[in-house]
Amino acid sequence: MSTQPSPWVIEAEGLTKVYALGATTVPALRGVTLRVARGESLALMGPSGSGKSTLMHLLGCLDTPTAGSYRLEGQDVSRLSRDTRARVRNARIGFVFQTFNLLPRLSALDNVALPLLYRGNGAGATKQAARALERVGLGQRSAHRPSELSGGERQRVAIARALVTGPAIILADEPTGNLDSANGIEIMGLLTGLHREGVTLLIVTHDARVAAHAGRRLYMRDGAICREEAEHDVA
Amino acid sequence: MTLPNLLANALRGLLANKVRAALTTLGVIIGVASVIATLALGNGARAAVEASFRLLGADTVQVAARMALDDGALVAAGKILSYEDGLRMPNAAPLVKKAEMGVRGAAKVRHDRAVLDLAVDGTTADGLETLASGGQLQPVGWPEGKPRTAAAFIGQGRFFTASEVLEAAPVCVVGYRTALDLFQGDDPLGQTVWVNRQRCEVVGVLQELEPVDPAQRHRARSNDAFYMPISTAIRELYDEEPSVTITVYVADERRMDEAKAQIEAYLRARHGIEQSADGKYADDFVMTTRSDILGAQQAAVSTFALLLTAMAVVSLVVGGIGIMNVMLVSVTERTREIGVRMAVGAQGRDVVLQFLLEAAILGAIGGVLGIAVGIFAVPVAASLNNGIALLLPDSVPLAFGVALLTGLVFGLYPALRAARLDPIEALRYE
Repeated sequence: MSTQPSPWVIEAEGLTKVYALGATTVPALRGVTLRVARGESLALMGPSGSGKSTLMHLLGCLDTPTAGSYRLEGQDVSRLSRDTRARVRNARIGFVFQTFNLLPRLSALDNVALPLLYRGNGAGATKQAARALERVGLGQRSAHRPSELSGGERQRVAIARALVTGPAIILADEPTGNLDSANGIEIMGLLTGLHREGVTLLIVTHDARVAAHAGRRLYMRDGAICREEAEHDVA
Repeated sequence: MTLPNLLANALRGLLANKVRAALTTLGVIIGVASVIATLALGNGARAAVEASFRLLGADTVQVAARMALDDGALVAAGKILSYEDGLRMPNAAPLVKKAEMGVRGAAKVRHDRAVLDLAVDGTTADGLETLASGGQLQPVGWPEGKPRTAAAFIGQGRFFTASEVLEAAPVCVVGYRTALDLFQGDDPLGQTVWVNRQRCEVVGVLQELEPVDPAQRHRARSNDAFYMPISTAIRELYDEEPSVTITVYVADERRMDEAKAQIEAYLRARHGIEQSADGKYADDFVMTTRSDILGAQQAAVSTFALLLTAMAVVSLVVGGIGIMNVMLVSVTERTREIGVRMAVGAQGRDVVLQFLLEAAILGAIGGVLGIAVGIFAVPVAASLNNGIALLLPDSVPLAFGVALLTGLVFGLYPALRAARLDPIEALRYE
């Protein structure tokens, strides 16, 4: 952990990922350089196969790059072991998935508390989880299981789970992809609100309307960032 | 993850598939039940060996006629072992200090209107000492550790004498219960009873006796005894002269082999057994010493215990593979859950622990049920093994440990497999 606070949450230099497919190799990411400042909101766009999922996995410490370096809040996390990356994910990263990925047998509250339980001591986890659920407006539904909740509510639970650890950044992968437009708008409203409260946000999406909520938009093609837009560029 | 969280997790996982979990534990149940039965057999064998130590002294040889099956009935294979054989033995075999004899027959015993069907023991004058030193019975309330003397076994009167045995005198000694049944509270001494068609005088009554082993007390018929001089019993109870059992006391227990050789030579001469061409003798008698009994008993029990051990091992392996199989299925089914847990920060050991705990709980459930089945199986094992089985309380934690260990050992591979999943692949898994 760095001692001096870095203004950058994410500093990625020349991130490269090459997959071996039998005898041949497939480059998925060709030297992506990216900086995300604290409190920023960013949308990552591009067609499928453009490398945005791979970049998201690297930034989420789910994977390590073949080449290049990645600093998360000033700490180099590009060469860490599996278990250390798990600790980094737990402490610094909140994930929101397209398919929610809640555990079906756990209540909303237990789902939200889950990351805290992997911190070694679960003391106060329930209270913190309840607060996170209230923050996403689901304080009354905490005892329900995912199957008893609507799609929008499920995604709110997932967002609460991402928030509960107080992460450096929330990575949202197509957060509205499985929702109807009304629920989608609601979820984007919630994420925008959180951003206004100071949460750093990176959204991967196909949807230009979703991307429009972000302060900055990156477009990817063939494993590289090909274009960048700031908020004021949008009509 | 704290232990309560882990436990809650594991139980939730298992309860989601109750039937599957129950079927999985079946192998472990059988295995653990076999472990319990095996331990009971081992303990029983040890107890039986200890009992026979008491039964047959180190200085004694038991001689009996060799028996053979003839048309479904047990008969002497050659000549019978006669009363005469025993009487002359101390003279013919110098190392034989004393030869006690016994026969056991059945008779109708009558007094007034009381008629009893009794097992009648014909013994020599030492019969009561044999009973006392046998170590199976004691006077009721006998203090533990106090040596049991023959005198303490007589309640009233006396046992018959050596000369009464030689003369085949019509006398008898009755057990405590027998006396009550025959004389209804009258003084038994000097009374006359009919044994089949012979009048006999009651010269003694035994004390009320009980088995030394408290576990035997509820079913033993310790007080239905009826003793007569062996000579009288042979005359009155049998149409043909019966074989007797001879208990030989050797003068010097260190010269046991020598004594056995003397007895052998004496009986071969009396029974006219010649050495055959291959140097062997077709003996019509059998000699048994304490070490013979120990060896035979241990061999019988260990054969059976080996069988059960094999069964325990096989069923535990089968049960373990069942657990492994179910855990592998569970890991596959929950690939996505594992991915989610990893994404939010579960480390390898968290995942290993989660699945290992589930496997251990499966093993433990099998263990508890197996112990219950095993406790019911012990009497069955005993009945298949001459009643030699003894369940000791410390077998229970041992069997439980074995079950738990089975769960852990066979749960390890699925748990490691779960922990090695790639979180990205796992999250994509449909």
